[in-house]
Amino acid sequence: MTKALRFAGSAWLIALLLACWEAMSRLHLLDPLFFPAPSTLLGTLGRLTLSGEIGRQVMYTLERTASGFGIGLICGVAASALITLSARLRRASEPLIAFLYSTPRLTLLPMVMLLVGVNNTARILLVALGTALLMMIQIADAVRAVNRDFVDMAVNYGAGPLAVIRKVYLPACLPQAFTALRLAFSRALVLTISVELLNCDDGLGSMIWNAWQTFAIEKLYVSIALAGALGLLFQWLFLRLERRMTPWKEQTT
Amino acid sequence: MSACSLRCDSLGVTYRSQTGKSICALRDVDFEVRRGEFVSVIGPSGCGKTTLLHILAGLLQPTSGSFRFFDQDGQNSRTALVFQENSLFPWMNVMENAAFGLEMRGVGKAERERRASRMLERLGLAGRERDYPRQLSTGMKQRVAVVRAFVSEAAVLLMDEPFAALDRQTRMRAQQELTELWESERKTVVFVTHDVDEALLLSDRVVVLSASPGTVLAEYHVHMERPRELFCEPDEESYELKRRILASLGLVAELSRYSVTS
Repeated sequence: MTKALRFAGSAWLIALLLACWEAMSRLHLLDPLFFPAPSTLLGTLGRLTLSGEIGRQVMYTLERTASGFGIGLICGVAASALITLSARLRRASEPLIAFLYSTPRLTLLPMVMLLVGVNNTARILLVALGTALLMMIQIADAVRAVNRDFVDMAVNYGAGPLAVIRKVYLPACLPQAFTALRLAFSRALVLTISVELLNCDDGLGSMIWNAWQTFAIEKLYVSIALAGALGLLFQWLFLRLERRMTPWKEQTT
Repeated sequence: MSACSLRCDSLGVTYRSQTGKSICALRDVDFEVRRGEFVSVIGPSGCGKTTLLHILAGLLQPTSGSFRFFDQDGQNSRTALVFQENSLFPWMNVMENAAFGLEMRGVGKAERERRASRMLERLGLAGRERDYPRQLSTGMKQRVAVVRAFVSEAAVLLMDEPFAALDRQTRMRAQQELTELWESERKTVVFVTHDVDEALLLSDRVVVLSASPGTVLAEYHVHMERPRELFCEPDEESYELKRRILASLGLVAELSRYSVTS
């Protein structure tokens, strides 16, 4: 009952907006050529799903996102370990990280393409770079924020360096690491779709751009909605994972 | 009298502050703790009590003097700390927290849970073993921390104002429980506090430290009979002891001067 109420509480505004859109499009208050009714779009979604086009394009996008995210995750965590262990390395790399972090990631695409060529590797590398930067900063920050008392306590009770990492640092960093993971994945997805929009022949981003270029308005809306839904889905999945992995944390959201 | 468990010889700590000034936190601290003795270290805030405890816990190196444990135990697990707060690991449940010391000593899971649950039960924490610290009150958290120290097999327990963050009633109950627990277990305890009544209730001996740099001003034996009760009539002797401790802290002198002028 309360669950249903909560769902209603967060769904009514969207339902209202969709209903308005539907009504205005049907009454020709909005030009249905530019703003086809949501019910029409639902039909288009069904058709494109059945034809297999959506499945194919989504898979292309997810493949790129996952590869870039995976590579970036590994590199980011490794880099965070390096700058955590060496203060000298951290000081030296700080300006570079700050520069890369404040540059819109997409603008680095030409540079990456000059390095590895105009191909899929370049796209994945850019996504990896975005993920690595975020993970590196967040994890290093989480490690630095670990309360000294907990480390002292563990050492006093006889924990060696490995046990301190396993029993204190890892669990203490887990919540922030998961938040970073969730953020990084959604950024990776956004970046992938942006890259596809800019320079690619397949994937959701190129589907959006092609639909725009060929004035396939219904397809345009469907693919935009899909991109958003995909982002939402993964946010939700990562949040579930986070709650399962850190049951000891106060749940605020 | 039983054998010596811990001895400090002219312990001193000087550290450099962020502005580069050198600050002397402890100077020439000498005292002994016998095996199975409960010793309170009392002093004004900022007298280096916590620094002293950190040295004994092996977390800080003294810059002068030395200290020694006379037990045959392994290097790292000779002491067991209880902090005022942040005592428990938030990511471990009550049982995992309570048995942490035993786990670090390599005691098997079944055995360490058996020992910890016996002690948890004594302090009224039965049924809370799978709860996480966020689900406990501050008083319960400190009880779990005390249990962890008592079951850890450490030779000396080091407690840094473990009850200071509790409200008055919870603190009194915790003090009574610690008294009873200690009277049955007879562990060696160094207990840092700034509360004279707490020190008198719990201790066999009270060591008074001066304000910075901290150094031993006086030592008093507490001869009150055990088992002790929180609400026993204060007799002539304990009353006099309290007055002397307050005097060595410089508190009674101020009070009497006040009463003369008023």
